[in-house]
Amino acid sequence: MARIVAAMAMTHGPGLTGWFDAAPKEYQELTLAATAEMRRRLEAARPDVIVAFSNDHLLNWPINNTPEYTVGIGDTHVGPADWYDEWLAMATKYRIPGHPALAKYLVSEGARRRLALAYLRQMQFDDGFSVPMHYLNPAGHIPLVPVAMNCTVPPIPTPARAYEVGGLFRDMLRQWSGPERIAILATGGLSHEPGGPRYLYVDEEFDRWFLELLAKGDHAAILREVTLERMEAAGSGGTAELLAWMAALAFTTGPADVLAYMPAVAWRTGTGMVVWNDVEN
Amino acid sequence: MGNVERCDKTLALNEMIFYVRRDARLRERWKTDLAGLAKEFGLSTAEYEALRDQDVRRLNEMGIHQYYIPQILRLFHGAGANANTSAVIDAYRRAFPAETAQAEEAAKHGSVLVGRSLEKDGERATPSRPERR
Repeated sequence: MARIVAAMAMTHGPGLTGWFDAAPKEYQELTLAATAEMRRRLEAARPDVIVAFSNDHLLNWPINNTPEYTVGIGDTHVGPADWYDEWLAMATKYRIPGHPALAKYLVSEGARRRLALAYLRQMQFDDGFSVPMHYLNPAGHIPLVPVAMNCTVPPIPTPARAYEVGGLFRDMLRQWSGPERIAILATGGLSHEPGGPRYLYVDEEFDRWFLELLAKGDHAAILREVTLERMEAAGSGGTAELLAWMAALAFTTGPADVLAYMPAVAWRTGTGMVVWNDVEN
Repeated sequence: MGNVERCDKTLALNEMIFYVRRDARLRERWKTDLAGLAKEFGLSTAEYEALRDQDVRRLNEMGIHQYYIPQILRLFHGAGANANTSAVIDAYRRAFPAETAQAEEAAKHGSVLVGRSLEKDGERATPSRPERR
């Protein structure tokens, strides 16, 4: 049977590759140290596949039809999408193997469990997956099952719903008949308001409060306190990317190890890296 | 709820940007025949004029999804080097001066949090940026 062997989360802001040098040196160094530590722990867990949750920035689906969740079922994932090459300063495309059998199983098994999962054979990739893969899977040697989420088109799902869906993914993955060791990755957040009136705004107080809640590890308290309204107040249309973290939370027990946090106005997002110490199996 | 809830999903411009970003031919036409492109996608006069004028505040107020507004500006000004010194962010400084100034002021007072596991032996190694292979 499959096993969950790691769960972690990080910011995916395009500045982390696109204009990395624009942030203070201290932020650059801390980002490199924290992502190196994430990569070290990821590799130590020896995963056969990464199942990653991230916001779809209106790239894969038009605004008149935005599924709540979309699974990439392709053999190979190629990114970034052309429009993002220059923005992310990624002159060459990356190629990461998929895990079509596992991805298709999730779509079909999800339907049996009343969970509607859209799917794409050729998913397009923006910063949501491209930036974390750049830092955590730079050689592209760990296969990826990307799960794109709607975190930004109204009605935005609630944190409780993301946690519920994360739990369904956890149950489905644990019941996958293969021997795979599975790492869970959530990307997005922390506070930011991409394209809104507060485009440069970072809510350091919210970010530290949220990370402190993760460090305490009381899921009931997190779900009670971290409402969608609170996320929106901390940066509309962007902070709710933390819904991906809520989905990952459902795979974990106990405290998270907060590796780093930076109120990175230069990258236009609160920037953080977290690894959970214990996962549920 | 926040600003993003103000968006009007049914505006033709909100549909148009999805297709333009994904298609190099449409991106080229954006530069040479914006009016014709807008007509084909069924934009209203108000949508077209706000788009043509690159009017961030008007686009926001009429209900263009906020994520698409800087994407629209990048279609005019290029997508590279989008630091806070870029033309895109300058447009936001003009459209929302108070909000932008407040954020830039806060940036002077922010402080980082370094997790205990990165502070082994009181010293933190600084790895280089990952190389793609």
